[in-house]
Amino acid sequence: MKITDILFNFLIFIVIQFIFFSLSTDANAHKVSTYAYREGDKIFGECYFVDGSPCKNSKVEIYDAKGNKIFETTTDEKGKYSFTIKEKGTLRIVISAGEGHKAEYKLEGIREKIEKKEAIDNVSLKKEIQSTTPQQSIDKEEIRKIIDETLDSKLQGLRMEIMDLRKQMDKVTLKDVIGGIGYILGVWAIIMLLKRKKNAS
Amino acid sequence: MHISEGVLSAPVLLTGAFLSLVGLAIGLKNMKNEDIPKVAVLSSAFFVASLIHVPIGPTSAHLVLNGLVGMILGLGAFPSIFVALILQALLFQFGGLTTLGVNTFAMAMPAVLCYYLFRGILRRSKNTAFLGGFLGGGLSLLIAAILISIALIETEKSFISIAGTLLAMHLPVAVIEGIITGFVVVYLKKVKPEALG
Repeated sequence: MKITDILFNFLIFIVIQFIFFSLSTDANAHKVSTYAYREGDKIFGECYFVDGSPCKNSKVEIYDAKGNKIFETTTDEKGKYSFTIKEKGTLRIVISAGEGHKAEYKLEGIREKIEKKEAIDNVSLKKEIQSTTPQQSIDKEEIRKIIDETLDSKLQGLRMEIMDLRKQMDKVTLKDVIGGIGYILGVWAIIMLLKRKKNAS
Repeated sequence: MHISEGVLSAPVLLTGAFLSLVGLAIGLKNMKNEDIPKVAVLSSAFFVASLIHVPIGPTSAHLVLNGLVGMILGLGAFPSIFVALILQALLFQFGGLTTLGVNTFAMAMPAVLCYYLFRGILRRSKNTAFLGGFLGGGLSLLIAAILISIALIETEKSFISIAGTLLAMHLPVAVIEGIITGFVVVYLKKVKPEALG
């Protein structure tokens, strides 16, 4: 009875902990993390361990929304990877770092936005065609391309910063360590208390 | 050393969980009340050790210290390592909650095994205590690497290659841990011989 009671209490504790933590953190998080972003048809990503060191020469698999594997590549010496892909829907990037380490990242699709954009553009284009010459509509296409290109290059710095921030977030802080030790001592104190009560009665 | 979530199949996970439960039950049953503070301290040591990275090979290996826990606690290593692994999974996302059973068994079983193998050498005299601690601390880690490789057979396909990389990666770590365990054991033998059971 003793052991089963202890195990039962322990299980309750774990369940409470699990509920608490699954509310506040990503339940699918791993020791290896990855992050990726789009730049037109190109996708850039980086894979790293919790301590910030890169995940070298690991297999990167890309799945579409239906779960079909559509592309495969490997990370370079700095843990970075990039590839060109036509698929605009949601992509699932899975990285196997070997020895049982695995990271996953869901890259949201951008199809809807583009369609909307095009729809609006078509409406405005039609209006313009009615009032002006077709020459200007071609110019508009070019302008959009130029804007896209400049935006991409300007956003590059911001993207790098987001990547760094993500890395910082995944790092283990002193707070986690001290908190963890506190939890461990607490768990054992509860077990000891329960054992002592059983002995006394 | 920690297997992530979603890598292993259900049968492997269930086997690991079952074996760990058996170990946990035996460990908790044999644990004396006055030993619990010692268990708690070693749990904490194991918990923190995984944060100390040793930069070797393609992935970063870290200290495990399962040998140290085993050499001092014996069968108590199961509950001790289990508690530490839960918190590592929750706070650091090392390993995962579903792979808890496999990870616990892979790290605690070699520790218990080495405890019974080297207990004799450890107790004989002060001179052999370091040797016992060194062998126990180092071998526990290497056997753990082999057990992890066995768990990964299905995923990695080639057992020899995965076991080879894991062993090569953890050999230097094993030497470091052997030395740490050796010194701790010698120190305990001098200061508090009854702690070594």
